[in-house]
Amino acid sequence: MTHTPTLETQKQLRAGRIRLTVGSIVRHLVLLILAVVWLVPILWLLVTSLSSYPGINFRSFFPDEYTLQNYVNILFHSDSVAQFPQWFMNTLIVACFNCVISTAFVVMVAYAMSCCRFKSRRLLQNLSVTVNLFPGVLAMIAVYFVLRYLNLTNSYAGLIMVYAGSSGLGYLICKGFFDTVPVSLREAAKLDGASEAQTFFHVILPMSKPILVYTVISSFMVPWTDFVMAKMILNSGISTDWTVAIGLYNMLSRTLINNYFALFCAGSVLVSIPISVLFIIMQRFYVSGITSGADKG
Amino acid sequence: MAQAMRITPTLQQSNESPFLRRFGFALAHGDVFTKLSFFIWGLGYIGHGQLIKALLVTFVQGLGLYYLATAGIANLMKFGTLGTVKMEMVFNPVTLRNEVNQYDNSFAILLLSVIALVIIAALLAGSAGVVLSNFQLQQIRAAGKKTNTFAQDLQSYVNEKFYITLLTLPVLGVVVFTIVPLFILIAVAFTNYDHQHMPPNELFQWVGLANFFALFGGGQSLSLTFGYAFGKILVWTLVWAFFATITTFFGGVLLAMLINDKRTRFPRLWRTLFMVTIAVPQFVTLLLVRNFFSDNGIFNTMMANIGVTDLLHNLGLLSPNLDHIPFLTQAGLAKVMIILINIWVGVPYQMLIATGVLMNIPSDMLEASRIDGATGWQQFVHIKLPYLLSVQGPALVTDFVRNINNFNVIYLLTQDVFVTTDQAMASSSAKEVDLLVTWLFRLTQEQYNYKMAAVIGIIVFLVCSLFTIVCFRFINRKEATFS
Repeated sequence: MTHTPTLETQKQLRAGRIRLTVGSIVRHLVLLILAVVWLVPILWLLVTSLSSYPGINFRSFFPDEYTLQNYVNILFHSDSVAQFPQWFMNTLIVACFNCVISTAFVVMVAYAMSCCRFKSRRLLQNLSVTVNLFPGVLAMIAVYFVLRYLNLTNSYAGLIMVYAGSSGLGYLICKGFFDTVPVSLREAAKLDGASEAQTFFHVILPMSKPILVYTVISSFMVPWTDFVMAKMILNSGISTDWTVAIGLYNMLSRTLINNYFALFCAGSVLVSIPISVLFIIMQRFYVSGITSGADKG
Repeated sequence: MAQAMRITPTLQQSNESPFLRRFGFALAHGDVFTKLSFFIWGLGYIGHGQLIKALLVTFVQGLGLYYLATAGIANLMKFGTLGTVKMEMVFNPVTLRNEVNQYDNSFAILLLSVIALVIIAALLAGSAGVVLSNFQLQQIRAAGKKTNTFAQDLQSYVNEKFYITLLTLPVLGVVVFTIVPLFILIAVAFTNYDHQHMPPNELFQWVGLANFFALFGGGQSLSLTFGYAFGKILVWTLVWAFFATITTFFGGVLLAMLINDKRTRFPRLWRTLFMVTIAVPQFVTLLLVRNFFSDNGIFNTMMANIGVTDLLHNLGLLSPNLDHIPFLTQAGLAKVMIILINIWVGVPYQMLIATGVLMNIPSDMLEASRIDGATGWQQFVHIKLPYLLSVQGPALVTDFVRNINNFNVIYLLTQDVFVTTDQAMASSSAKEVDLLVTWLFRLTQEQYNYKMAAVIGIIVFLVCSLFTIVCFRFINRKEATFS
């Protein structure tokens, strides 16, 4: 308290504060501009979904008139092109099956690779890396051939098989999580007389909730966001068979876009809402999964 | 569990040796049941007193043999030619009608043969495994001890063999839905399977390496355009993968640092704002953005309204007979736009990851450097960046590979929008903005040119593996020098 700042230091302090506030303004301004750039297309999606004009508005960003009619139409007035409720149900069915099978496969493979020691472990790991290096599209075309031969194209069973069949390959993030579970836990369970299976079901799984949530949600989201695979398998051209992604894509074909663009936007918003909620729940686990997986190479 | 302890010394020694040598040892020193079990799996187990197991394994072996007998062998016989009898209408004197003859379907022959080969391999491996297991049983009995009952065997599958229980179904799924299809497509690369040779109406044959020569510009006149398109697309694929990986990585890091800085207010709010863009499904945003930037789209209207289009006209940067900026319709500009749009798509993801990694940097390290007078820039270059790179190095490599195979961004942005003016490229269904993977997809969809698509797929695989191997060797060496 005895020390009082001289006039000189007071001036310096003030200058520093000014520099700080200028820096702070610039910093937040940059963030604001970036955020606007990132949100403009999303905003366009929202306002167009409320537009009373069915096609693309080329003249202005915001529609001339706002209406909720697009949402009413897409939910309740299905026509030969837009079958949104049907697509939603189709995708939901595929998503549920895929979710159960994929999650089981991923968790099983990840646990075996992380916690079990057996001779062919290294070999299997290398094989999975090699298979992953083949372009996904190539494998897709090949699977399409096989499904066509088995008469499984244009069936949800075929689509589910394609999504879930090879899902075991995507075990790395989940393995990264299991790697962080202390070995002593499993050893303790073993000493208490638990079998390997009991250790897995009663010790490891209950404490793996984060990674389970992550795996469940990400496999549930696959059919909602995948477009190419579904388009190849469900190629009959009958609109009631489609998933949401193909149906919405079809609305943008050259002959339809001028009548269906606003409807497309409304449908997209409706799909995005549940996906966003799931994504926000998932992303917490996503980051820790990625980084812990990357750490181990 | 108990089995392992009862093994006699000779086998324990050989237990460390390779599978094949152990198998040879077992076959040579096994009793008659062990030897017989190579041919009929159950016989050995019957001889060694495990009846239920004998029935089960014989049933599995029977399924495999049944397939080989009914379909496998017959198709394998034709595997060398991929069929010789073309589909024809033949007059049947019995029914007095024209009927389809007993034709060969080249694709079915290929498919069923590959499955037969996989099953033969599995049966052989199974036989070897059964012989080994019987040899063990034989030795246990020779030592005068009791072998496992069936219940005990089952018990082992939730215990020391639990991994088999876990892995069987997923591995089967991968074999059926990835490995067998990949084998088939690799085989197709060595055939002439295209629109002129489409089963079931036509046959296709083995052509050796001809398709590979065609891709590199050798061969007939049409393949010249293939070689030309391949060179251009390969270069663009690599350029794209490089820029897509680097820009999103550094963009994400910078954004994360900007948001997580102590001086930034409301970091959570900012993070959420950027995350909204990833929460919307990618196909929606990409289709939307492509309409946003279309030739007569809203962005072009805005550009015209604020005078940018005229400005470009006056500067001579935009050809006078265009009244719009061809964001996605002119090759060069489209490529730039695709990379920019990819930044928009990819940066929020990378920001999320970078946030997580940056939070793990030991804070005392940053604190110490600050006390030593390091500026923010110095901290970034000497501490944060090396840390990020060391943690995310492997992820960067996989990102690069993923970008080489990034089908969605390119296909959804350019399909039905970008039309190539290059005749040589158009004749092989290629566009300037195509990646190898979108090109191969388009080849199958537009030209039914499966043989070339398969060749391109193999090339992509080779590029990716080469890159991965080189990078990981480099990363490993670097880690070795630093630690």
